[in-house]
Amino acid sequence: MSAGDDAFERALEQALDDLRAGEEKPIESYLRLVPEEDRPQLSRMLADVFLARGPGAASGETESEAYKRALAVVDEVLSSRGTAGILPGSLKAMRNARGIEPDAVVAKLAADFEVEGEEGRRALARNYHRLETGALLGSKLSRRLLGSLARVFDVDVADVLAAARPAEKGPTLRSVPAMGRSGGDRAEPPSRSGERLPDPEVELVERLFHGGPDA
Amino acid sequence: MAKFDPIEERAIEMLDDLRLEAVRAETVVHDDARFEFVLWTLCLRGVPVIERVCRSRGRARGLGEEEIELATEDAAARMLLRLSRPEPQPQIHALAAEIGAACVDRAWPQQPKPPRLSGRAPRVRLIEGLDEAIEIGQVRPNDWETS
Repeated sequence: MSAGDDAFERALEQALDDLRAGEEKPIESYLRLVPEEDRPQLSRMLADVFLARGPGAASGETESEAYKRALAVVDEVLSSRGTAGILPGSLKAMRNARGIEPDAVVAKLAADFEVEGEEGRRALARNYHRLETGALLGSKLSRRLLGSLARVFDVDVADVLAAARPAEKGPTLRSVPAMGRSGGDRAEPPSRSGERLPDPEVELVERLFHGGPDA
Repeated sequence: MAKFDPIEERAIEMLDDLRLEAVRAETVVHDDARFEFVLWTLCLRGVPVIERVCRSRGRARGLGEEEIELATEDAAARMLLRLSRPEPQPQIHALAAEIGAACVDRAWPQQPKPPRLSGRAPRVRLIEGLDEAIEIGQVRPNDWETS
C-alpha cells in the first residue's frame, strides 16, 4: 500500500468515524488529508456517504418555536388536502403568516377583475371564503383567478396551478338538493317582464370560481 | 395524512434526497397515495434549513423573533406549493434555502420603534482628594453663572 493509499484510507475512516459520532466536518477538511490527485475520488465517495446519510440534525435549533410552527403549518396544509389540493391550506397559511386579512385579498381580486359593485364584491368574498375552507373544486377554478391569486401572494403561478390539483381521494363535496329538470323538449317558458337579470359582476365571479380553467 | 405500511414509510424515510425527489416527481404525476407522506418527509428535511436561513438572515435584517417565526411559516407553506409541481425540483436543502431567503427579503411593515436613550456611557474619572481640595479652597466647583 502506497503512502497515498494509506492517507486515503485514514481520511475516509476519519470521516466515517466523525459521521457516526455526529461530528462531521466540512468535506474540504478531509480532502486536505490526501494527495491532490486522490481528492476527486475521495470527494465523490464522501459526497455519496453524506448524501445517503441525509441532513444532519441541526444543533438544538430543531426544537425552536419557529421550527415547531413551520411543521405545524406543513401538517395542517397536508391534512386539509382535498378537492382543491393543498391550495386552500396554503393560501390560509401564507395569509396568516403575512398578516393579510381576507378582506384585503378580496379587495385585490376585485381590483384585478374590476369588480366594483356591492353584489360582485360580496360574491367574491363568499367564494374566496369557500376556496380557503376547501369547499370548491380545484378543477373548476379558472386560470385567470389562480394567476391573480399568485400575484396577490407574490408566488409563481405554476406553484398555484399545481397546488390546486385535487387529491384523488380527498373529501367529497357536500351534496346539494337536486333541482327539477325539464324534459328537454319542452319550449322555454316566456320570460317575465319584471324578472331580475343576474348581476354581470356576480356572473363573472361565479365563472372565475366555478367555470373551469378557461373561464 | 394517509397512513401506510410502516415498512414502506421507513423505506421512504431512508431514501437520500435525490431519490426522494425522484419519488416525489413520480407520485405527484400519478397522484400516488404516498405523495403526502413523501411531501411530509421532504418537508422534515427542508424546514430546519428554512428555519436556519430565516433566523440568520432575519437577524441580519433586524427582524424580531415573531417576524422570523412568521417568515418561517410563510416559507414552509411556499415550499409545499413548490413541491406540488410535477417538474423536477432542486435538491430540497437548496430549495428550502432559496424560499427561506425570499420570505425574509420580502417587504415587512415598518414597525414603530420605541425611543432609545443614548447608549454612550458617561466618561467619569475618580479624582482622589478632590473633596479635600474643594474644602480648603484649593479648587472650586464649577459655577454655571461664572464659568
